Amino acid sequence: MTKALILGIDGQDGSYLSEFLLGKGYEVIGWIPISIPVNLENIHHILPTITLVEGDLGNQESLDNCMEESLPDEIYNLASPSSPVASWNSPVMVADITATGVVRLLEAMRKFVPEARFYQASSSELFGTPVEVPQSETTTFQPRNPYGIAKLFAHWMTVNYRQNYGLFTVSGILFNHESPRRGMQFVTRKITRRVAEIKLGLAGDLLLGNLDARRDWGYAGDYIKAMWMMLQHENPDDFVIGTGETHSVREFCQIAFESVGLDYQDYVSVDPRFYRPVEEAQLVSNPTKANQALGWKPEVDFTALVQMMVDADLESLKI
Amino acid sequence: MKKALITGITGQDGSYLTELLLSQDYEVHGLIRRASTFNTHRIEHIYRDPHNGHDLNLFLHYGDLANTGNLVDLIYSVKPDEVYHLAAQSHVRVSFDLPEYTGDVTGLGTLRILEAIRKSGKKTKFYQASSSEMFGSAKPPQNENTVFQPQSPYAAAKLYAYWVTRNYREGYGIFASNGILFNHESPRRGETFVTRKITRALAAIKAGKQDTLYLGNLEAKRDWGYAPDYVAAMWKMLQHDTPGDFVVGTGEAHSVRDFLDEAFGYVNLDWHDYVKIDPRYFRPTEVDYLLADMTKMQKEIGWEARVYFKDLVRIMVDADLELIGLDCPGEGRKILETHHGRWHRWEDQISSMEGNH
Repeated sequence: MTKALILGIDGQDGSYLSEFLLGKGYEVIGWIPISIPVNLENIHHILPTITLVEGDLGNQESLDNCMEESLPDEIYNLASPSSPVASWNSPVMVADITATGVVRLLEAMRKFVPEARFYQASSSELFGTPVEVPQSETTTFQPRNPYGIAKLFAHWMTVNYRQNYGLFTVSGILFNHESPRRGMQFVTRKITRRVAEIKLGLAGDLLLGNLDARRDWGYAGDYIKAMWMMLQHENPDDFVIGTGETHSVREFCQIAFESVGLDYQDYVSVDPRFYRPVEEAQLVSNPTKANQALGWKPEVDFTALVQMMVDADLESLKI
Repeated sequence: MKKALITGITGQDGSYLTELLLSQDYEVHGLIRRASTFNTHRIEHIYRDPHNGHDLNLFLHYGDLANTGNLVDLIYSVKPDEVYHLAAQSHVRVSFDLPEYTGDVTGLGTLRILEAIRKSGKKTKFYQASSSEMFGSAKPPQNENTVFQPQSPYAAAKLYAYWVTRNYREGYGIFASNGILFNHESPRRGETFVTRKITRALAAIKAGKQDTLYLGNLEAKRDWGYAPDYVAAMWKMLQHDTPGDFVVGTGEAHSVRDFLDEAFGYVNLDWHDYVKIDPRYFRPTEVDYLLADMTKMQKEIGWEARVYFKDLVRIMVDADLELIGLDCPGEGRKILETHHGRWHRWEDQISSMEGNH
């Protein structure tokens, strides 16, 4: 039985990936941080079928022990404080987990399970203010916040362990991917949650930042399949994963409100406090390499994604 | 009187920079590690120098780049006008053995200092010692627009620090500049770096104390300059109107083989008689060709190197010969007296060299 170790199993991606791997007959070991209270809501339904281990990405010994005891065949590193905006407030903590933490993890893998396959969750934040549109695996990186910079270091270390030690390590550069399990601090979930609340008479309006900001948004359930496909590929490599199209926050609002029979213009107002210190230019993926080499394609389109999220939020608020 | 804080003050660059800034009437503060070995030989001569009299404006502070609170306290109490962040785990080969430590000190250390500067709210200027190793396998010559391809944990950590520096400049308006320095050497270079390893072995061979020198890849090409020139470049960057990122080099590249030719040739020896290749010294991923395009530095800052490859080799060989107690041909010594009269003296070279303790 193939054994997968998932760091950040409690998050959106970790929970979908667990379900997917369980469905493929994997034994799933979920790693959760020992020092932070973890919300197990996303994985509550699969808890009986997985094993949880606690550890600390800030501590080499903890990771060494984890590898030595669990001996995984595949390692998915999805653990990271994933809010770029919050990274301005606690950049050192973010760097210690997101950047140095990956070095500790790679070292533990090299020492105890060098035959394992390693997936590093990189992100489109690496491109920051992109130097070209769309962005592919060959686009120059230009990160613009402490989170993106930490992620870039982790990306290069992943590449370095592949080139230097011949380990099977891949970096998946994923563009935004959403779902009903997306954290409330992300704009998509903030919108769909509030739309559901407004629809049910629990709230009156919605404050947002720049409505014309555009993103390449996909469905998380599609993206975790890409992670798995990368580790089944014959050679370790880096892949950009996205839909290849962008939509504005405004369009997201429009579809979300329309899906419950409302007009977003009656509820949405703009609050400059939500602007980021450095606002990115247009991020949009060129996923050609993943399409061709992995045969990966997104299955859920933008409208379906927004509706899925609104429906789920409505469902969860109904008693 | 301006105040400067130098991290890595006991290193090659930190010691030269201290001499330069003291000559410019700065009050200089240095961050040193509380270590079991006392490693201040590169700056001890400054205390002994009678030119400095009783009013020596040099102060050392214990500190740790792995500790944010400690750095905040230091920035608050010193209130420097300029911070030169030179401290790092700076050995590329060692970074493969100590990747976590390298990431924490070389990468996150920069972030911790910038955070401390930001929190202090003072208009402190910041210099980040970036490195040509960040270019890795990028095609030469490399300039400020070249795409980075880091090939080692050291290079990845330096690249992290580079981006954090830009990030704090662009996001918070801090005067923070990256000096992307190509290799720079001197008699104070640590003994594990290839240039110093060669000149030191050469002196030992001359003295009859050694007969074999083991080296790794002889074909790797580097743009080698003279460290005292480069610390002047750092200082100039912080005196410039605006912060930015600048490549600093000589614009000439030479191989390790060239260095051997030049060094052994200078004292009429043939290196083939002494050098053996040891594959253990090969780096797992080798950066093979670094060459600076310093157009921007020349144009915007008005800096260029004074000492080029041949002269650099002569300075280093002369110094190592003197250190071991032999007469030197003296060409290198003469070059120094011509180029760096006021703040950088030959006599300080020998007493401050690694190995002289």
